[in-house]
Amino acid sequence: MSPAERSQRWRRALLWAWALSVVVFMYLPAICLFLASSTSSRYFIFPITKWGFDWWQKTFNSFEIHTLFKTSISIALLVTVIAVVIAFFGALAFARYDWKGRSLYQKIVLLPIFFPQSVLGLALLLWFNALGLPLSWKTAVFAHLVWIVPVVTLVISIQVYSFDPALEEAAFDLGATRWQVMKEVTLPVLFPGIFSGALFAFLLSWGNFPLSLFTTGADTTIPEYLYAKMVAGYTPGVPVLGTVSTITAAILLLGGYGLIVLRRRARLK
Amino acid sequence: MAEAGAQAAIATAASPAKASAWRLRAGPANAVPIILFLLIGFAAPLLAVIGYSFMPPRTFGLWQAPTLSNYETVFNSTSYISFLWSLGLAALTVILLALICYPVAYGLARVFGRWSTLLTLLFTIPLFVSENVRLYGWILFFIKNGVLLGTLKSWFGIEIESWLFTEGIIVLGMVYVYLPFMLFPMTLGVSMVPNETRDAAFDLGATRWQVFKEVDLPLSMPGIIIGFLLSFVLAVGAIAEAKVLGGQQIIPITHDIEIAFTYAQNWPLGSALAVLLMLVIGALVLLVLRRFDLDVILGRR
Amino acid sequence: MTTRSPVIELRQITKTFGNFTAVHSIDLSIGESEFFTIVGPSGSGKTTVLRMLAGLESPTSGDILLRGQRINDVPANRRPTCMVFQSLALFPHRTVGQNIEFPLKIRDVAPAERKQRALQLMVQLRLPEDYYGKNVTKCSGGERQRVALARALAYNPDILFFDEPLSAIDYKLRKTLEKELKDIHRETGKTFVYITHSLEEAMVMSDRIGVMRSGRLVQVGTPNEIYTSPNSKFVSEFIGDVNIIPVRLNGSNKLHSDDLGAEFVAPGMPNGFSAGHLVVRPESLRIIDRREDAENVLTGKLYNEYALGSRIQYQVRVGEQVFIVERLRQQALNKQRDSDVMIGWNARDSILVGD
Repeated sequence: MSPAERSQRWRRALLWAWALSVVVFMYLPAICLFLASSTSSRYFIFPITKWGFDWWQKTFNSFEIHTLFKTSISIALLVTVIAVVIAFFGALAFARYDWKGRSLYQKIVLLPIFFPQSVLGLALLLWFNALGLPLSWKTAVFAHLVWIVPVVTLVISIQVYSFDPALEEAAFDLGATRWQVMKEVTLPVLFPGIFSGALFAFLLSWGNFPLSLFTTGADTTIPEYLYAKMVAGYTPGVPVLGTVSTITAAILLLGGYGLIVLRRRARLK
Repeated sequence: MAEAGAQAAIATAASPAKASAWRLRAGPANAVPIILFLLIGFAAPLLAVIGYSFMPPRTFGLWQAPTLSNYETVFNSTSYISFLWSLGLAALTVILLALICYPVAYGLARVFGRWSTLLTLLFTIPLFVSENVRLYGWILFFIKNGVLLGTLKSWFGIEIESWLFTEGIIVLGMVYVYLPFMLFPMTLGVSMVPNETRDAAFDLGATRWQVFKEVDLPLSMPGIIIGFLLSFVLAVGAIAEAKVLGGQQIIPITHDIEIAFTYAQNWPLGSALAVLLMLVIGALVLLVLRRFDLDVILGRR
Repeated sequence: MTTRSPVIELRQITKTFGNFTAVHSIDLSIGESEFFTIVGPSGSGKTTVLRMLAGLESPTSGDILLRGQRINDVPANRRPTCMVFQSLALFPHRTVGQNIEFPLKIRDVAPAERKQRALQLMVQLRLPEDYYGKNVTKCSGGERQRVALARALAYNPDILFFDEPLSAIDYKLRKTLEKELKDIHRETGKTFVYITHSLEEAMVMSDRIGVMRSGRLVQVGTPNEIYTSPNSKFVSEFIGDVNIIPVRLNGSNKLHSDDLGAEFVAPGMPNGFSAGHLVVRPESLRIIDRREDAENVLTGKLYNEYALGSRIQYQVRVGEQVFIVERLRQQALNKQRDSDVMIGWNARDSILVGD
């Protein structure tokens, strides 16, 4: 092996080592959470002496937790549906059509992303109050949307950028109505982007804390509940829920991605 | 924008009137839902905050005689310390993030080949777990009898003070939470450097370091800058890290704002603080985003 | 023939990527100051060969020699060679001057000296002096080509490599640049190694051509040799329109075409020939009035005609087979479509190839 190749091998190895260390860094908390959730003792003492999954049982049976799940899921589902619809059209305007004011529009749409969520949450709190709206999980849906719709728009836009407008024009030229073009061409071709956007919307809403904190009022989402518990003192229930949260996100993401890959492979056969 | 108009004009001339009219109006038409939504959901609340900041202290209504007393209070109080802490911590976080993330971004875009997608997914998953939950994991790691100290104690017999509730830990937490927001734009930036341009520089005689300095760095700059901007802006608004990991050691500005809104029940004061924060962020964002052509960065090369 | 001393030699060069062999054991010798072009369709391995010569790729086995010295292990940035890439690979964030000066800047040449050299090159490549501070993204296609070439010439490399730099340019500009490249080759006296998929382009510029197919070098020769004596059907088809008749040796030792049911007189037969192809160029095929006017004659119908400026091509169908006859514009036929025509050629105007 030539010296040049040898140094290249070294470089690659170092890069891999660095990247993997960063991955481990990212997952260390999750591992700790899992470890903490698998002890049956009341307090967390490491190394673990009393292994057990009793707290998992207690958590899953708790009524309080069930209500929390319902709240979080309702918010997340509603956010997903609304976000995808608004963002779909927003993405078309972002990347598909050339129009005057588009570059300004692009920057305006991205603005809520470049904004600290806690401040946004507070601003929305003020706004709801000024409008006289009572805070509940419904106002939280709205709050989540403000941040999530731009993100989903961005995700879908990335797919829209590689969309060939000639496809729509061809369908149109062959006699399809605008609705048919949308149904037969635009939506199917953009589906992977829309799907990713929906996935993002669900997960971002599911795990959101700062916005929920200020806008859910009496209702509580899982992150809020966990926060309250965390600040109050140690409860084993927290690591359990935390681990469940991480695993759910992982399954949904990997599963969603897997679906997209399978679909692509099936099409290429 | 004049270019877009000219392009549209050419499109009109070249294609049948109906199709091109459709194309001209479809853009703005599709933009309407999201713009309306953002007006009500983003612009309006921010205006409300601005409005509140001019209201008399400790009041809750919006329709009163405006006053500047909140701003006076802010400038006379120690809130500016919180401001500086927030900005300082955010800046430190961002610099650390840049150093940590660039090699990873480079690897993802250039070196890891088909593993890149899997790795990217791995980096994405934590994003979807609530940040306070993730930070709690760090507490479990660093706390007395936690994973780190417990292991040290039982395996090595070393007992040291917990690192929790120090400034260092807060920075660790912030680096941790905002890593993806620096990593993804950077990866995008690095992937924008055409392979042949790097090859050419190398072929023309540059050393590896020179290729990096003259080609990689400048051409991936758009991604790097967006990464900087995004992570800085979000880090300035960080609230959970300081609270969860730092206890009462450091009070960042967002905490001040939150206190004003909750314990102190002083919405106008909180609004004034928020407005100042928004001004800093707004100025930064405007400065940077104005120079960017998002089409080039995001896809249409 | 090359009487020059070889400046580059490839000996048994093979390159595999996993299971795929891109280049099969190539032997090649390129002479000092030669303009050598490697021609081949996409996937023939020509780009891989070029990249190995430049040092951007290393051969799986075999040796690359530069003036007799083995340079396999010398990295690209230390070889006295420079490549002009297909995309030109200009630095978009820099001006014309900065691009051209790049090889000098990284070798720590003083700014004043660099600028002087850059301006000198700009004159040589016919770039206006005021382009020095112009950003490269604002230059036209032809101008960018010249900047890329100037940059490659800046520190005076011995050998220049060209990776299909003209393939993305429109026809007229390409024709102009082809001739300019040949002129610059003459002016600088350097060795040029060029690759393209167009044999036509290669013929204009090259001293010698190497034809590649599926990783192998199938024929090497001067443009004239490749044109008049292709050694295979593949090579003869590589230049535009050509008439090819599959033939085999029949009982009476004549060339017989089964499809056409006719016998032909051959221009000379290699030993051991049993089957192959008879190649007749369109300009060697004639429209004749009497059978006696040519050694080989076929009868068919005039199907269509194509005006090509100074020439006209006629498509004549003999049964199922299509023939192209080319004549000068002044000799245009006065025949109707579907009328009967006789086409013919003499044996010495055709080529017999294996396959």
